[in-house]
Amino acid sequence: MPGGDSWPEVPGVFFDGRSSRDHPATLHLEPDGVRLRLAGRADHHWRAADVTVDPALPGVRRALSFPDGSRFETAEHATVRAWETRHGRNRLLGGVARLEASWGAALGAVAVTGALLWGFVTFGLPALARQAAAVTPQGVLASFDREAMRVLEGQDLIGPSGLSAARQAQLQAAFRDVSGWAGGGYGYRLLLRDGEPAGGVGMGANAFALPNGTVVMTDQLVALARSDRELIGVLAHEAGHVTQRHGLASVYQALGLSLIVTALTGDVVSASTFAAAVPVALVQGGYSRAAETQSDAVAARYLLERYGTTRPLQTILARLESAEGGADGLPDLLSTHPGTAARIEHLRQLEDAAR
Amino acid sequence: MAGMSDPVSLSKDRPAAAPDSGTPLGRHAAAPATGIHSGHAADGTQAAPVVTTYPVSFTGSAGEYFRLWIVNAALTVVTLGLYLPWARVRNRQYFYGHTWVDGHNFEYRADPRRLLRSYLLVGALFLAYVLTSESESLGWVSVLIALLFLGLYPWLVAQSMRFQAVNTVHRGLRFHFDGRVRDAYVAYGAANVAAAVSGGLALPWAWFMQRRYQLDHLRYGSARGLFRGDVAPMYLIALTALGVMAGAGLLLGVPAVVAVVAWMAAQGFELDSLNWMGAGLFGVFFVAAAYVILLVLQGVVWQYVRAATMRYVLNSAELGGVVRTGATFNPWRVVWISVSNGVAQLLTLGLATPWADIRRSRYLLQGVTVRAIAPLDEFAGSAGGPESALGEAATELLDIGLGF
Repeated sequence: MPGGDSWPEVPGVFFDGRSSRDHPATLHLEPDGVRLRLAGRADHHWRAADVTVDPALPGVRRALSFPDGSRFETAEHATVRAWETRHGRNRLLGGVARLEASWGAALGAVAVTGALLWGFVTFGLPALARQAAAVTPQGVLASFDREAMRVLEGQDLIGPSGLSAARQAQLQAAFRDVSGWAGGGYGYRLLLRDGEPAGGVGMGANAFALPNGTVVMTDQLVALARSDRELIGVLAHEAGHVTQRHGLASVYQALGLSLIVTALTGDVVSASTFAAAVPVALVQGGYSRAAETQSDAVAARYLLERYGTTRPLQTILARLESAEGGADGLPDLLSTHPGTAARIEHLRQLEDAAR
Repeated sequence: MAGMSDPVSLSKDRPAAAPDSGTPLGRHAAAPATGIHSGHAADGTQAAPVVTTYPVSFTGSAGEYFRLWIVNAALTVVTLGLYLPWARVRNRQYFYGHTWVDGHNFEYRADPRRLLRSYLLVGALFLAYVLTSESESLGWVSVLIALLFLGLYPWLVAQSMRFQAVNTVHRGLRFHFDGRVRDAYVAYGAANVAAAVSGGLALPWAWFMQRRYQLDHLRYGSARGLFRGDVAPMYLIALTALGVMAGAGLLLGVPAVVAVVAWMAAQGFELDSLNWMGAGLFGVFFVAAAYVILLVLQGVVWQYVRAATMRYVLNSAELGGVVRTGATFNPWRVVWISVSNGVAQLLTLGLATPWADIRRSRYLLQGVTVRAIAPLDEFAGSAGGPESALGEAATELLDIGLGF
């Protein structure tokens, strides 16, 4: 070959793959392959197709390995990269290595990662969760309710109701009307419970719905209401959460979040503990603002149909907020009903629109 | 690379008195000096072997690794996780590639495509587990998956060891792991069960069994690893950890109780006049604080156990009868690094992770040495050749055993 020695050559170390001995060597990077030159030995030539070039890593010697298990390592990055490009090797990972070398790309990667994660968590995940909740078979829902109630009762967050049998029957009758109106074939039942069974701790004046139609309302909320219409408004709101499957969607959302965290950190243990906390998240984790607005709209439809006004729900919302913010209550850090003023305004608009 | 000394030049302090026989070292070698113990041979003619110490150096830099890490993280997110195996392999390759002994670095050679398949399988199983564990009618599926995992755990560990060893290369030679699955069921199955049944009494013994299983079946070329350690130091580590836990608990708990009593006293012990609302708040914060402190303490102690065992294992490991490793890092310093790393990662939303990983590796590795009575370039490759096809197929499930 004319000018055979003019091809680029790189100094490095050769390992024969049979022993750990390092042989100083030079490698001639020829167009059709590579030629290894070892002191005191005959040259060895490998065809380009037989040569594996390991993808470049920042600050690490380049390694070329050969079919017999031997390998050549060199610190001459640029020359190896040129040969690699010419032979079309490591196109993708070579590109990755070029990105890794630049601070600009790193900053871009921070921005892209942050934006995508944020976008997925705020928009993509809730949308996916809503879809998944909508297609979940109804048979699955019952176990959510049972599990969540077991946890709640086990943790002394609620206890048996102190209301009289007559009062309970009244409220049950009202709930039957609400649930019959809401429909959807869910296993509706109203559980009246004491929200403060162990003194000052507990959930206090509260009402919440579980995915299969179990609605829990506390004695404290019943005591707070000045009329049954207010309570019926709350029950209709909770029925809205059931028919829109908000609870299930929030469970899926939490699940998706934990899967993302697992994928990013590789920490499966924390993800499984997260999954175990799902029943609690169901009750305590708040719904999104959009979910509350949707349920308010459901409640408003019911109230307008029955009473021609949304005022009862507005008043109890306002009273709930002043009771929670009052001096004698713990500040409700985990409030499931944010933006009360906006919600009252929304209910008022719905009433105006109906006129 | 700035600040990086030329690694190849680190090595030129070879012992002049090295046996120059060219005989491959290792288990099957009939070399004259096959073991450190044989330095005082019975016939008395053999001189004590010359021990050469090779420092282990780590040349990774936080800035360089940050760029690699974030670019690969972004690619993982953009590809909806499909790039994850490539990212994992590159991250690990960076650490292997920047760990040097006697002028030569390590290499991690795992094939991301095979990792992807096992990731998908494990991911699907995990998803099925999480989804079905909430359901009443399909709950048995999650139980089945959990039982399958528990039953196969030792097997998975053995496969994972195999995979990690065979994909680690140094000086052109692969490591191998040939521990039998049966022994894995003893070290990771029976020993863990015994530890659980005995209320933790057998836990240090389980650690011992596991380290021994890992090291005794590790091969570098044809040279076999050996764990020279014992059970007693494992118990010492566990006792130290328990002592620290109890001591710290007392140190923090006694003042806390005193504070509560003092607060009660200040209120005059009159139950009627006590501010019960305030008491409730106080109680909630008190319990929450105690819980967090307990968690942190547990994490700290666990980090100590890990670092101390690692140091002990490194100080008790031998390879082919001619190489011993040693470690001088301080386990408590490792604990401090882990805790401060965790805080930094939390405050930076994880962006400090590359810096934290580099910092930890740098501290651990600067305290590791390799002592040898023979040159490191006389190890022979194994006659076994590449892994069997069966081994290949089995390793598909790999790399998760230790992650758990």
